[in-house]
Amino acid sequence: MFNVARHRPLFIALAPLLSVVAVVGLGAAVDSYWQYVLGMSLSAMLVGSALVMLTGYARCITLATGSIMAIGAYASAILTVKSGMPFAAAVIAGAIMGGAGGFLMALPSVRFRSHNLAMVTLVFQEVVIILLREWKSVTGGAEGLNVPAPHLFGVTISNDFIFLIVLAVGTSVGLLPLSILLQGAFGKNLRAMACSEVAARAYGINVKRNLIAAFTISSFAIALASALMAPRLRIIDPDSFGILPSIFALAYPIVGGTTSIWGGILGGGLLRAMPEILRPIADYIELGEALLVIGIVLFLPGGIIELFNRLHKIVTRGHFVKAGKLPDFISSERPPERGKLCSGENVAWAARIEELSVRYGALKAVDQVSLNVRQGTIHGLMGANGAGKTTLFNAVSGFIKPSGGSISVFGEALDGLLIEDRIRLGVTRTFQNVAIFSGLTCLENVKIGLGRNDIGTALARSVHGTFDTIRAREESETAMRALHSVGLSAYAYVRSELLSLGNQRRLELARAIVSNPKLLLLDEPVSGVAEEEVSKIHELLRRINRDHGITMLIVEHNIGFLASLCDRLTVLNHGRVVAEGEPKATVSLPLVRDIYFGEALVA
Amino acid sequence: MTLFVKNLGVSYGRITAVKDLSFSIAPGESLALLGPNGAGKTSAVESIAGLIPKAAGSVVFDGVDLTGRSADQIVKKGIALVPQWRELFPSFSVHETLLAAVGAARHRQPVKLDTIYEYFPALSLRKNQAAGSLSGGEQQMLAIGRALVTNPRIILLDEPSAGLAIGIARSLVGILSRIRDSGVGLLVVEQNLELARSLATSCVVLAAATTRWRGEIDHALHSDELRRAYFE
Amino acid sequence: MSELIMILVGGVKIGSIYALAALGIVVIHKATRVVNFAQGGLVLLGAYGAYVFIVEMRWPYWMAYVVIPAIVGCVAVLIEIVVLRRMRRGDLFPVVIATIFLGIALSEGYRLSTRAEILSVPSFVSTMPFVIGSVVISPEQLWVTFGALLAAAAGIAIFQHGRVGRSMRAMASNVRGAQLCGYSIDRVYGMTWFLGGALAGYAGVFTAPVRGVSSELAIATVAAAFVAAVIGGFDSLIGAVAGGLILGVSETLAAAYISSAMKSAISFLLLFVVLAIRPQGLFAPKKVRSV
Repeated sequence: MFNVARHRPLFIALAPLLSVVAVVGLGAAVDSYWQYVLGMSLSAMLVGSALVMLTGYARCITLATGSIMAIGAYASAILTVKSGMPFAAAVIAGAIMGGAGGFLMALPSVRFRSHNLAMVTLVFQEVVIILLREWKSVTGGAEGLNVPAPHLFGVTISNDFIFLIVLAVGTSVGLLPLSILLQGAFGKNLRAMACSEVAARAYGINVKRNLIAAFTISSFAIALASALMAPRLRIIDPDSFGILPSIFALAYPIVGGTTSIWGGILGGGLLRAMPEILRPIADYIELGEALLVIGIVLFLPGGIIELFNRLHKIVTRGHFVKAGKLPDFISSERPPERGKLCSGENVAWAARIEELSVRYGALKAVDQVSLNVRQGTIHGLMGANGAGKTTLFNAVSGFIKPSGGSISVFGEALDGLLIEDRIRLGVTRTFQNVAIFSGLTCLENVKIGLGRNDIGTALARSVHGTFDTIRAREESETAMRALHSVGLSAYAYVRSELLSLGNQRRLELARAIVSNPKLLLLDEPVSGVAEEEVSKIHELLRRINRDHGITMLIVEHNIGFLASLCDRLTVLNHGRVVAEGEPKATVSLPLVRDIYFGEALVA
Repeated sequence: MTLFVKNLGVSYGRITAVKDLSFSIAPGESLALLGPNGAGKTSAVESIAGLIPKAAGSVVFDGVDLTGRSADQIVKKGIALVPQWRELFPSFSVHETLLAAVGAARHRQPVKLDTIYEYFPALSLRKNQAAGSLSGGEQQMLAIGRALVTNPRIILLDEPSAGLAIGIARSLVGILSRIRDSGVGLLVVEQNLELARSLATSCVVLAAATTRWRGEIDHALHSDELRRAYFE
Repeated sequence: MSELIMILVGGVKIGSIYALAALGIVVIHKATRVVNFAQGGLVLLGAYGAYVFIVEMRWPYWMAYVVIPAIVGCVAVLIEIVVLRRMRRGDLFPVVIATIFLGIALSEGYRLSTRAEILSVPSFVSTMPFVIGSVVISPEQLWVTFGALLAAAAGIAIFQHGRVGRSMRAMASNVRGAQLCGYSIDRVYGMTWFLGGALAGYAGVFTAPVRGVSSELAIATVAAAFVAAVIGGFDSLIGAVAGGLILGVSETLAAAYISSAMKSAISFLLLFVVLAIRPQGLFAPKKVRSV
């Protein structure tokens, strides 16, 4: 039985190649000139798709596309002319050099964001063009370089249609890996990063490395596209790879759509062919394109693809499951009495915080706090605004560097450990302002929680995902189980931003527990949640703690919720521990009441 | 000249911060908004002041519907906010900060700066000092002074005593009482019940976005509602 | 030695124009957080406006210094109202894209409205050089330098003092606090863009006789202005002026003593060095703790 559903990812990955086939098909029906135009479109489709990865998914504004194209074209042309390398090899070599160029450009750039990042790419762009112009002996300088017709299998390709086919093959070589990566784990990680850097890092996505990878991979594809096209251009010169072409390349993903490879294909293919299709008004094309981009940014930010999405929603009426009848996973058993959860003397400490201090200048946000969390328990942290609980929390999860003291989790010291690496020790967290990754489905959100997100693994997982291997299926099943345990399995394929707040908090929880963490840090898990949902989340947390044995450290303002949930409660005030012990008793202490009703102010 | 807040609702995306809040304040009256952290008190006052949009309900002042207006428009209508984090301009001097409010509130006949300096003698000693270098208490005074310059009929104060020493907080409360007695309406969000009691007679208790109780502050202190709102 | 002085004079002249353009970018960014990549297009608009005003319409030259910056200022306000206002709440990515392509639209619009490669505009003052000791300079150089720096100083003065500037600085410092004083975001942003646009207009009017009017002017100016702004420290007004002067002098020195290819490269080299060593810029204002 041919299981279509199983091979769906493979079909999705291969689908862009259909557009290449379609272009070739069209080319068979037109004359030589239009075959040349279609060839340019193919090349632009590849550039557009590469820019979807860099500018669409990773949200990097690059002004250096021209220079990467120049590297690809010049490298392959020079190798062909000066060392007689066969066309195919020269093109690949040019693409590799383009990738290397992207890598070099990315190294200094990824420290920056937004306009500073754009400026560094501009530096690269300008320097490359200047080099090409000045290095006359190799590149021919400003006069340009003659690129001979390509030799393939001993034959010189002079027929435009044959060349179109060659281009199609070459473009497919570039499109296929882009397609696999964009729809796979690597692409999802890029989008997660652009959505919430903070949450992405908490689950092992190293921002700098991912940006460098995105630059390198997209530059490889851009250089490939340019190297393929060079022979048909016959002469290449530095000025045709300047800033203006770089800026207009940005239009491909913006106009086409930044959320899928189809945006790059559509945007690149259409915009590159425009000046030829609209020959009579060719002069006005560039102005038209600029105005088009501005219009898209204002009125249709998702690009042309967005129109198709909307049509699709109208036609299929979406598969949005209304919030309402959730399967009831709340156990009706009474939770075992507290105190009986930890056994005797051999108590393992899930977390030991010793004399922890965090100072901001003269202000002691956290002042020599010592706190120990028993394995398998739920430990609560409360205090008035400014008491230091958020700061303490952020120090444990790695978002703030402490000024003194130490933190260890299950015997391993956390000092100096990067946020991205804490997940490996089994520490995960949720966020006060729900930091789910919008644009990704619930299942995709949870898969990121697995933490298998360093570059190599993400690239590998993308391939696994496309071929629906056992490993990919195992991952999906693990993620589904986590969704099931929080009651969200019905929403697995729903985009996460469409969920209610209560459900988004459950999703965050699923993401945080899927990796079977040893210590789960919860930051105001019921803040802003409607009252009916609060008790449901209460039960959910209790059940997760009981069934999976996950130790929890919870910061909350809702004292009723916290006191009835946790096994042990610590109260902070002005950065110091002022009370700790059994929750109900601690909350009843006059000292604690005073903090909340205001007698104890700074002396 | 009364401020009527009816069924006010405030949401941030999916988060419901305030649900169905109603009260009224006339010039010379004072009301305290009490409740634990996260109850929605700050969202309520910032929404009335126009800093965040309302999701539901209406705000009517002096017969004019202010629902949906921006903060600067609401200031120009006579409602001023002293926000929780003061929101001063660190590089501006004390005097320049007050001038900024004069400039913008021109057609409200801004209060003369000398009057402000009378209320806050500590500020008049530091006219040229940068706001960022003032002490906590002085910054709070400046924030209140800035609000006063715009000649408001109602002042909203979000935790005016937060982070201040009790002595300074008490003296601030004294100044605020004078302002109230001069005919300005006061809405105070306060965690400290002693101070709330000195400024207002009646209160509304919020918890988890909903109104739990309303009435006399003294009554609240003796009833169970307050304790329940905070601890349950 | 005298040769060095003459080169420096040339460098300061071109640098003062860069300073004007950079100042406009920094003013807009300080008060509204928007990075205006369209600044080069606005400078081009000013230069072209000067050409039309002076060469085609033959109106009094001195009036161009008043009218053109005002017109460019108005165009800038239009950009704010029509394009950017809608995007205020979202993230900055689409705003950057929008300003980049607005700049392109402006330079393309210019290219389509004139067939000439380059339009030349006469100088306001005489270009006849005179000699001081062994140094040869012309009144034109002095006029452009002092005029541009004067316009920059006026821009800085407006921002630092006076009621309008106070509203911009308050907005720049704390948007919520400014609103609570009664300042309207729409009005302050509008005034800021007018100021930024007017500064670009001045840069254009001064540039037109010096470099002529051509479509490359937009990109070249915006690149130089950005480099100057980043070198100076993106949020420092003095830094923008200093960055512009440093850039102008470096370019001229490089072109004279190394090669003309280095002239283009030097600006990017400078940018790279500054971003590598002191990314906040040479004149970055001290980080003040928010209150």
